[in-house]
Amino acid sequence: MLSVQQAKWFFLGGTAVTFAIFLLLTLHTFSRIPALSNQDQMTDRVIHGKRLWDEKNCMGCHTILGEGGYYAPELTRVYTRRGPAFIRAMLKDPQAMYPGERRMVQYQLTDTDMDDLIAFFEWVGRIDTNGFPPKPTLLTVAMPAQPGQPSVVERLDRPKVFNQLCIACHSLGGQGGNVGPPLDTVGQRMTRDEFVSWLEKPQAVRPGTAMPDLPLSDAQIAELAAFLVQLQGPGAVARASPVPPAASDRRPAQGATPAGPDSPPPAAPATPPAASGD
Amino acid sequence: MHYLSQRIAYLFFATAMLLFSLQLVYGLLMAQAHMGWDGLHPWVPFNVMRPVHMNLLLMWLLAGFMGASYYLVPEEVKRPIVLPWVALVQWAAFVAVGVTAIVGFHFQWWEGRKFLEIPRPLDWLVVADLVLFLLVIGATLWRAERRTGTVLVLYFGLLSAAGFYLFGMIDTVHPTVDSFWRWWVVHLWVEGVWELIMGALLAFLLLRLTGVDREIIEKWLYVVVGLTFLSGVLGTGHHYYWIGTPDYWLWIGAIFSALEPLAFLGMAVWAVAMMRRGGRRHPNRMALMWTVGAAIMSFVGAGFLGFAHTLPQVNRFTHGTLITAMHGHLAFWGAYAMIVLAIITYAMPQMTGRAIYRNWTQHYAFWASNIGIVAMTLALAVAGIAQVYLERMAGMDFLVVQREIEWHFFGMLLAALLLVSGVAAYVVDFIRYGLPVSDLSELPEPDLDAAHEGGAQPVTRGGAVGYGDRLVGRDPA
Repeated sequence: MLSVQQAKWFFLGGTAVTFAIFLLLTLHTFSRIPALSNQDQMTDRVIHGKRLWDEKNCMGCHTILGEGGYYAPELTRVYTRRGPAFIRAMLKDPQAMYPGERRMVQYQLTDTDMDDLIAFFEWVGRIDTNGFPPKPTLLTVAMPAQPGQPSVVERLDRPKVFNQLCIACHSLGGQGGNVGPPLDTVGQRMTRDEFVSWLEKPQAVRPGTAMPDLPLSDAQIAELAAFLVQLQGPGAVARASPVPPAASDRRPAQGATPAGPDSPPPAAPATPPAASGD
Repeated sequence: MHYLSQRIAYLFFATAMLLFSLQLVYGLLMAQAHMGWDGLHPWVPFNVMRPVHMNLLLMWLLAGFMGASYYLVPEEVKRPIVLPWVALVQWAAFVAVGVTAIVGFHFQWWEGRKFLEIPRPLDWLVVADLVLFLLVIGATLWRAERRTGTVLVLYFGLLSAAGFYLFGMIDTVHPTVDSFWRWWVVHLWVEGVWELIMGALLAFLLLRLTGVDREIIEKWLYVVVGLTFLSGVLGTGHHYYWIGTPDYWLWIGAIFSALEPLAFLGMAVWAVAMMRRGGRRHPNRMALMWTVGAAIMSFVGAGFLGFAHTLPQVNRFTHGTLITAMHGHLAFWGAYAMIVLAIITYAMPQMTGRAIYRNWTQHYAFWASNIGIVAMTLALAVAGIAQVYLERMAGMDFLVVQREIEWHFFGMLLAALLLVSGVAAYVVDFIRYGLPVSDLSELPEPDLDAAHEGGAQPVTRGGAVGYGDRLVGRDPA
């Protein structure tokens, strides 16, 4: 049986050995961090962005690299997920972006501040994180009609700005936010010109609407309008097909996403909606 | 209580009670915010509540550790605290720094780094305060003629805790480097040196409450803290999976953090074995319940629930979700909150000469708070598992998922109210104990439970059952 003296040596010896290994690994890790994080691309803007991140205690709600408050979204990949236009609009007036939802503090940031925070997010997004955050593995199970499809934010058949910005509040094919209405059939309700004037200034078209004025360029608006007008939804498909609309209403994903903004609207397929799609 | 200077512990215990109560208030507010009731947002947004909730926790646990040290070191080394007035200054400085930090958070005076939000100027005051504390305790040990394994492990733990705090003050703008050093404080505290402090407190309490030989208890202590460092130091790797560090941390972190529950399992087995083996029936059964409870709940919360999401295959999906919060609540409760409450439960009758421990309120405090925190953890677990599946695995939007799981926070709030009622009962009893005696002769008997070590006066009453009767006789109720 172990004596007190032996137990003490077990403690001291084990501690010394593990700490020695830990220190060596720490040294090696520090030699690798610059390459893994593209440290050479850490500009003054990125550094200022990080300082703002700390100053506002963004970590008190958000997580970055998975660390933070679990109260607001994970932001490691926010630059590719949402893009600079969304981030800027969010920082300017969070409540306008998400009316009636969980609130974020509205900071009085200058344009430079916002640019620097965006630069910080862009830089953080390129850190090699060993595969975090993970790609949603159950996506193919949740949407059986489209096996092997990339996740919703990576769909290349949609305008990038749609995947980054619109999807934050609206859903398409059952995926996206639920702050605004789903967009599956929005093309039935509005024309291309109406989309253009709506996207330019929603508050001018319908004052008091929950949709904020968004910082979109004319090219982005044109691209979005061309895309949105094609979203006729399964109802439109059903009109020309033998499947009753009531049955296809539950499958809004099918046939709702044409190949791209420049492709023709989806023709009525001969097969039932479940087997259609792109 | 053998020496009047041990009464300094009371100030720290009272501070701990106050800060703990405040921590619960902020916790209730945060649960409500998660339910969608964020009415306080314009004045106290979530990113203020969170650092307040966390730092109050760290402060009250530290206050508890310091109070425990001031109480048990003189008992162990059989001499009074050296320079008790310095200890008083140290207490006052601790409170001043803590209050300034908590108030400052409400005015955005912080560092914005999870757990270590205390701004840099105050960091230096924290360090100064810790140095003062270590000097007083160190001088007491230095002057003493006997130094037990228990106090040496305790002092080693306290000293290392202060030392690792410095790594959190390394200034960097690189988020990976920032995170790397931050875990040198947070992880090496709670899964390293704090376990030494906890082990030492456990050893002291088991010595006093069970009467098992010191040799056996301290042998266990060394084995447990040995297992702690053997697994916990390289186990820091589980914080280095996804932050921009090399991928060898994935398997190093996995292997060693998977071993971390062994140390907590060791503590649980140790406490239960000593309790069964102990030939003595100490009248303060509540202190024993908290002590053994701490050992068991720390295994469940820190050991088992920590293991549940520590492997990278799981952690890839749970990292940064409510699963971490779930584990954190029961781990801190079981390991550190309960051991502090155990030492307070043990020390208060000794310091005041009153024996409230037979009151039903003490049992209520124990069971309500424990059932409450377990139910809170379950509610968080359900919310966290739902979040992992919906957001991380099915790719749903963050806020959509948060809406879905709001109801689990209502369940958590109900459970939290049970916890709060238990803690309230505990605090009320703490107040009813009153102040420590100002004259040792007011105590009913000179420290009965230290008698078996031969240093104190012999037990006049003898016999296991009669022992401590006079303490009970002085129950003010």
